[in-house]
Amino acid sequence: MRAFGYTVAGSPVEAVRIAARTANSTFVAGGTDLLNLMRDGAETHDHLIDVNQLDIGEVAVDRRRLRVGALARMRHVAEHPGVRREFPVLSEALLASASPQVRNMASIGGNLLQRTRCGYFRDSASPCNKRVPGSGCPAITGHNRGHAILGGSDHCIATQPSDLAVALTALDATVHLIGPGGARAVPIADFYLLPGSTPDRETAMRPDELITWVDVPRTALAGQSRYLKLRDRATFEFAVVSVAAALRTRGRVVQDVRLAFGGVGTRPWRDTRVEAALRGLPLTGQAIAEAGRLLVRDAEPYEENRFKVELVQRALVSILSDLGGLR
Amino acid sequence: MSGLVGQGVARVDGRAKVTGAARYAADNEVTGVLHGFLVMSTIARGEVVEIDTRAALAHPGVVAVYTHTDMPKLTLPNFPYNRPFIPMQDTRVHHNGQPVAYVLAQTLEQAQEAANLVKIRYRAEDAVTRLADALDEAFLPIKFRNRPNETARGDAAAALEQAEVRIDQTYGSPMQHHNPIEPHTTTAVWEGGTLILYESTQGVILARKAVSDAFRMRPDQVRIISPYLGGGFGAKGPTYPHTLLTAAAAQLAGRPVKLVLSRAQMYTSNGHRAEYRHHIRLGATRQGVLTAIADTSTAQVTRIDENVYNGSDSTLHLYACPNVHVRQLGVRLDLPTSSYMRSPETTAHLGLETAMDELSYELGIDPVELRVRNHNGVNPRTGDPYAGKYLLECYRAAAEAFGWARRKPGPGTTRDGDEYVGWGMATETHTYGWIESEVGLTIGLDGRATLRAATQEIGTGTYTVLTQVAADGLGMPLDHVTTLLGDTTYPPASLSAGSSTMPSVVGPASQAARSARDAVIALAVADPRSPLYGVPAEDVVIEAGRLFARGDRGRRDSYRDLMARHGRLVEVRGSGANTPGHSFGAVFVEVRIQPRLGRLRVSRVVTAHDLGRVLNHRTARGQVIGGVTWGIGFAVMEHTMVDPNTARVVNPNLSTYLVPVCADTPSVEALFVDRPDPDSTALNARGFGETPGTGVPAAIGNAIYHAIGRRLREVPFTQDKLL
Ligand SMILES: Cc1cc2nc3c(=O)[nH]c(=O)nc-3n(C[C@H](O)[C@H](O)[C@H](O)COP(=O)(O)OP(=O)(O)OC[C@H]3O[C@@H](n4cnc5c(N)ncnc54)[C@H](O)[C@@H]3O)c2cc1C
Ligand code: SF4
Repeated sequence: MRAFGYTVAGSPVEAVRIAARTANSTFVAGGTDLLNLMRDGAETHDHLIDVNQLDIGEVAVDRRRLRVGALARMRHVAEHPGVRREFPVLSEALLASASPQVRNMASIGGNLLQRTRCGYFRDSASPCNKRVPGSGCPAITGHNRGHAILGGSDHCIATQPSDLAVALTALDATVHLIGPGGARAVPIADFYLLPGSTPDRETAMRPDELITWVDVPRTALAGQSRYLKLRDRATFEFAVVSVAAALRTRGRVVQDVRLAFGGVGTRPWRDTRVEAALRGLPLTGQAIAEAGRLLVRDAEPYEENRFKVELVQRALVSILSDLGGLR
Repeated sequence: MSGLVGQGVARVDGRAKVTGAARYAADNEVTGVLHGFLVMSTIARGEVVEIDTRAALAHPGVVAVYTHTDMPKLTLPNFPYNRPFIPMQDTRVHHNGQPVAYVLAQTLEQAQEAANLVKIRYRAEDAVTRLADALDEAFLPIKFRNRPNETARGDAAAALEQAEVRIDQTYGSPMQHHNPIEPHTTTAVWEGGTLILYESTQGVILARKAVSDAFRMRPDQVRIISPYLGGGFGAKGPTYPHTLLTAAAAQLAGRPVKLVLSRAQMYTSNGHRAEYRHHIRLGATRQGVLTAIADTSTAQVTRIDENVYNGSDSTLHLYACPNVHVRQLGVRLDLPTSSYMRSPETTAHLGLETAMDELSYELGIDPVELRVRNHNGVNPRTGDPYAGKYLLECYRAAAEAFGWARRKPGPGTTRDGDEYVGWGMATETHTYGWIESEVGLTIGLDGRATLRAATQEIGTGTYTVLTQVAADGLGMPLDHVTTLLGDTTYPPASLSAGSSTMPSVVGPASQAARSARDAVIALAVADPRSPLYGVPAEDVVIEAGRLFARGDRGRRDSYRDLMARHGRLVEVRGSGANTPGHSFGAVFVEVRIQPRLGRLRVSRVVTAHDLGRVLNHRTARGQVIGGVTWGIGFAVMEHTMVDPNTARVVNPNLSTYLVPVCADTPSVEALFVDRPDPDSTALNARGFGETPGTGVPAAIGNAIYHAIGRRLREVPFTQDKLL
């Protein structure tokens, strides 16, 4: 790893100012992803701006929303009583992430910006369009078990690995940013970009912007939410397929539903057509199966990840059956 | 005898390990040491055309960047050196991740970064990287370490032809890596004409041979020190290029050099379990008596060597079958040379023990009963009945503890909530070796004993068991005996591999303890100042460090008083031969499968093992827990992925090379038959380390079949295969 400079920022405004005037700099929070990327040579930075002292670590639930500061730790958010009660999918997604040690260190902002686990991306001696634009994508013809079946391009098929991002996508969260041009808010649906021909561009963030907090609207629906994560070992592993779901029914009829999927898309995957296909209908195995087919209609599987087409549909059946009391 | 042997004594080195007092190889602080870092090839096959070291040399703290043009010419050692070439002797690249340059710097970080700055131009040649693509070119390799790759008894082909029932299937396992927590590390210090290596090795004596051969030195000019290992699992059994290169770099630099391989480098630097295919054909009568076994394995070897490490030994002896044909084929790929990996015979068992299960369903005979009907009571080495083989007892004990009698035979017949429950079992066995060993034992003037042997503590409890054996033989309390291991200045002793340590070293340790005890008794009875003066030696008893006259406990002396009076050390050596053999066991597994999602849990494991006399129940149980955990990893997740185009390992780290976590591993009920093996000179104990786990992958696959009626023949049994 290359030697780098290091500054501790005292406020969000100061952090952004230092970033804007320091070439090839980036923010570091828990460092649980960034330092690994730097050690592996997948990212190089000359200067790190430590944002751990910033006063944006609170977690607060009021009548309208949940506000999570970007520096709140994963563990703190997962265990927050208001989050567990009103937004169970967030708590479950966080508790299904990483390990207790990582969750104690890792921040919410860092979690949303963690990079893909694609092995080629993290090996600086392999080509990779995301790391070195134009160098090629070996995953398409190589090992792609962990890769996306939805939203990929000829340039990249890597998944965004954050479980939390999937849950936030289901709940229509908003990401708040501050940058050299001032503060702004981006709906999570617009926050992550499809790879297209520029897989190195992953989010709608502009240079030197800092995540300050994330807002999640408090709704009855959010209180009826759940996270299902399927993976290759019991804990401490990223999703092969995951689903964040929120469901409200009256009688058996679906009043409202929100669905987001992990492990299958190049970004946290939300397809409102799938939700629309369920809304207003009785929740039956058949209705869910129809919705699942819609979800994977445009799927483009590769040699090793073909099974995800089937698995994600089954995961959908499983989580909605649970939430809707079907058995 | 004080009865220490057999007790579940806690680790004598436990405190040192948990407090950090134990010094592992890389913990040694050597003054003036430089930090080394390897630059690895990024192509699988070809030539190095040009190495530009300028940027690296300009990096702060960098002392040197060596390439093939700098390295002294070394002699290619035989086994235990694991490679058919020494890197950096010429421009040839034999696999991706091969050392091509060696950076030396003041700090590790400087060396690492400078390694990134070394620019290398290659001329790449086409590489063959997938076993499946080259199966047509499978061939019968030459003998490796005197072991043939084809063995037959009877006429398996004819017997298969005539068999009433046949099974004919292929089973596969992927490339896997050992991943000891402690990375490989070497610190090389030249002192005049001698070389000292602080090395993480499973065999100081063998490593010394490889190093002294490579540098054309006398063995006594090389000292290897390895008192503790953070795991090895075979990865540290042979000697690898980085050790030789580090010694050469230290010689060139005229300063000590410390090298610690990075985790990613460990995926191409110390061997792996090769990818395997096992084509198994069984022939049997309707009554379930095996008439033929044909086992043809195909494993990855390399373009320039053909060493097969995971042999099918157990196919030859596990069942009484008159017609057996074993062939071990190789396929040349542009990958590193593979190696032994705990437990080598597991690959063969996956095939054989799954095929046996398939046969049991085919015949409608209970899987345990089928194995009992084919039990082999004859020792293949001697042709005589085994003196003490209690495998049948293992089946019985484990089946009973598991509740096997309640099993519903049909697949898919047991449900619990939304899960299918499946029960499966398999036989376990592994070869153990005997490696000529000596120990030295000294009674000090303080009346305490020190045992020395150039074997190693690989983590299995060698310090503990040898201390038990010595204290027991001497009649001393455990804490009056200190065991010192892992240094070539000690008497030469066993490699910590092949389940050989206990069968090789326990006999000599116990013999040394007895001779030291006899020597001390002789001193006492001849010493006019001793209360035991004149007592016949055979009438002296020793307990807890005190010597008594039998029948007159008032006449007593102690090691401490006696040695203080004597004023000179008592020094003895112990040695002695043993015969290699096999340990046995049975493993029973319960799995639960959620069919909608294909989610699999291993929910229960019961084992019973026959390892002769159990020297320490706690360390033996540790081996079972470790072996079962390995077996679970082998069965459901472990898998090294190699890019088909570049032959680079795609998952060279513990975040993407999955091994089981606690939540994947149920508690294991480990039973032991614990009856002495009269044929073993190691206090009637046999080698055991690698036996547990050998049947686990097959038992899990068999349980999966019982749960949902789907036969899986290729590990890892991931979720997608269970949908
Ligand atoms: C072994 C392991 C297993 C894991 N398993 C999972 C898992 O199962 N599921 C899962 O979701 N995650 C998993 N993770 C990822 C983990 O959640 C992330 O590493 C962590 O959330 C990152 O947070 P951090 O604070 O450490 O970020 P850092 O590593 O400090 O930063 C990550 C990135 O975010 C940027 N950044 C950080 N904070 C801000 C901010 N406020 N504004 C702008 N940019 C910022 C940094 O510049 C950097 O680019 C795992 C990680 C490890 C190491
Ligand atoms: S999938 Fe994306 S991240 Fe992975 S190698 Fe291809 S371009 Fe790189």
